[in-house]
Amino acid sequence: MKRGKLNQPFWFISLLIAGLMILAVSSFAKAENAKLPARAITMAVEYPGVEISKDEDVSMDLIFHNKGRKDEDVEVWIADQPEDWQARIKTYRYTVTGVHVPSDDDKSLTFEAEPKENIKPGDYQFRINARTPDGKFRMSQLVTVKVTADEGQSKEPKGVKLATSYPVIRGPSDATFEFSLEVDSKLDEDAIFDLLAQGPQGWDINFKPAYESKYISSLRIKSRQSTSVAVEVKPAMGAAAGEYPINVRVSSSDAKAEADLTVILTGTYGLEVGTPSGLLSLEARAGRPANMSFYVKNTGSAANHDIKFMTFKPENWKVEFKPEKIDSIEAGDLEQVEVIIKPYEDALVGDYSVGVNVEGEKASRTIEFRTTVKASTAWGWIGIGIIVVVIGGLFGLFRWLGRR
Amino acid sequence: MGGMKTIIKKELADHFASYRFTIIFALIAMVSLITAYMVGWKIKTEMEGMASQSAFLLLFTLPGAMGLFSLVQFVAFFGPLVGLVLGFDTINRERNEGTLSKLLSQPIYRDVVINGKFLAGVVLITVMMVSIVLVITALGLIVMGIIPGIEEVWRIIVYLIISIIYISLWLGVAILFSILFRSPATSALAALAVWIFFSIIFPYSVSVLANNIFETVEDNPEAIAQRAKIVKVFILLSPQELYTDATATIIDPTRKSSRSIITSGAGPMESLSMARFSGPLPLIQSVLIVVPYIISLIALTVVCFAISYVVFMRQEIRSL
Repeated sequence: MKRGKLNQPFWFISLLIAGLMILAVSSFAKAENAKLPARAITMAVEYPGVEISKDEDVSMDLIFHNKGRKDEDVEVWIADQPEDWQARIKTYRYTVTGVHVPSDDDKSLTFEAEPKENIKPGDYQFRINARTPDGKFRMSQLVTVKVTADEGQSKEPKGVKLATSYPVIRGPSDATFEFSLEVDSKLDEDAIFDLLAQGPQGWDINFKPAYESKYISSLRIKSRQSTSVAVEVKPAMGAAAGEYPINVRVSSSDAKAEADLTVILTGTYGLEVGTPSGLLSLEARAGRPANMSFYVKNTGSAANHDIKFMTFKPENWKVEFKPEKIDSIEAGDLEQVEVIIKPYEDALVGDYSVGVNVEGEKASRTIEFRTTVKASTAWGWIGIGIIVVVIGGLFGLFRWLGRR
Repeated sequence: MGGMKTIIKKELADHFASYRFTIIFALIAMVSLITAYMVGWKIKTEMEGMASQSAFLLLFTLPGAMGLFSLVQFVAFFGPLVGLVLGFDTINRERNEGTLSKLLSQPIYRDVVINGKFLAGVVLITVMMVSIVLVITALGLIVMGIIPGIEEVWRIIVYLIISIIYISLWLGVAILFSILFRSPATSALAALAVWIFFSIIFPYSVSVLANNIFETVEDNPEAIAQRAKIVKVFILLSPQELYTDATATIIDPTRKSSRSIITSGAGPMESLSMARFSGPLPLIQSVLIVVPYIISLIALTVVCFAISYVVFMRQEIRSL
């Protein structure tokens, strides 16, 4: 019984409250709807006036707004369009001719217009019409598209940019130069760019990915991203000192860019050392000087000054040069040097290595002479003399004491 | 000169028939053969696959089974003994037996006797050395399977010549003593004493003397070199030293000096410079290095014989 007493008033109260709430809400809603007209529908385009360049498309929203209490169907079509254009109304998927707009709601369609290729600059007008099936509402909207002419170049290199932080590099002719290029793609889609470089005749110009050693000739860049590319430049053999321009181009089907790089060659330093006959061995006797002449040739493309000679020789040996040093050799010139090697008086018989290091400006060369120290034959002659004297003496004795 | 041939023939016949010669020849041949065999076997096993230019000559220079003597050292040490044994009683035995005056009563000149006896000894030594070296070479060929090159053959020939001169020198010494002393025992002892002096005592006494004279040079390389030079000069008074140095350089083509230790102030640069082209020397260079030694040996031999000749020619013979 206890429960019955408690439950009855509870149920009653909750039912009451629920009933009141329903009443309140329905009366409120009725009050809102009541403000709307029975039927009202409008149509609008996002941008009634547009300015584009020649190769751009027009795409904008077409908005329907139903302000009436009744859901409406609307037929829509493009009433008027200029020649050389292709225009259509579509949703995300279909081309449409009609749309359903619920009461008190918006609906968007897309208006697209695509100019044909050889469009001339000027104003173009599109008229979009719409009506309800019963003809009670008719709507019309004008879209004006102004096509501007491209200024200057036929196509602005809008899609890709080339940038380098150090466009001029200087160095010796036998060095390898490496430029770093930043290829910045502004394209909306991924693209493959061809890489092209033009330099002086005989030069070796290659593209490499940054920090990699393989050579590439094209490059894929994702939309709106940039990549750095290294340009490796090897000057031609024997290229003279001077300034050399290098033109680098990056191009894809719809974008291209170019950059000018400069290499300044300062000339090379190179020396060649050898003997006229090619022979690098000489014979010497202990304590006696032996002569040998060798040449120093400047194989670089710049003059070489102040060439000195250093020797690697056994202790107590003397090595002299005539002249003692060379003041200057012009590029491609030869200079003859006489070297006088004097082995130590007590040097053992055998082959010794005497190294001569020719040290010039930024270049050095080593030449090694195989010096054969020969035993002196003097002792041989003295010995033969002694033997002759001794045996002669013996025969003298034979004669003197022979008792014959 | 007709008498000379007869004397040589008779002397050779005497020697070949004597037990003395047979024993000493057998001894030397045995030791040489054993050493050569051991060394050859060692070279063969150790040098498998290595291409050494002078591998064949190692047969003469590597120490053999005894671990002490190489063939060259063996000849240097015991070769003199052969000369001494062959010559110590050449003249005084004949004198004691009374055959010398009988011999001289024949139509034979006196100098022919001594010349013939010395030459017979030299021939004997030559025969002995040539046969031993040939047998060793053949044994080396069989054991090692290495064929010596032309230059190696020449080196062996030069070595043989030096060895014959060296042993002949000792023969000359022995003949000199046999002329000087009447008793064969005395002359044998005297010859042995000389041999022992030069083989053992002399080298040690020289180095001991040098150590005492130059004391304070331990850390001065130049002074050490100086001292070594002086020691060398004194040591070269010994025929054995002359022979050892000469043959070592001849038999080993990689040896650049007769000096056993390089003392010419050789520094690291010199060794480096030499190591760059470390090839064997050509034979003529090796010979030129040791020419003074060979000359000294020949001169010593000739002088020694000349003294014996003079003494013998002026001696009273018939008195006994």
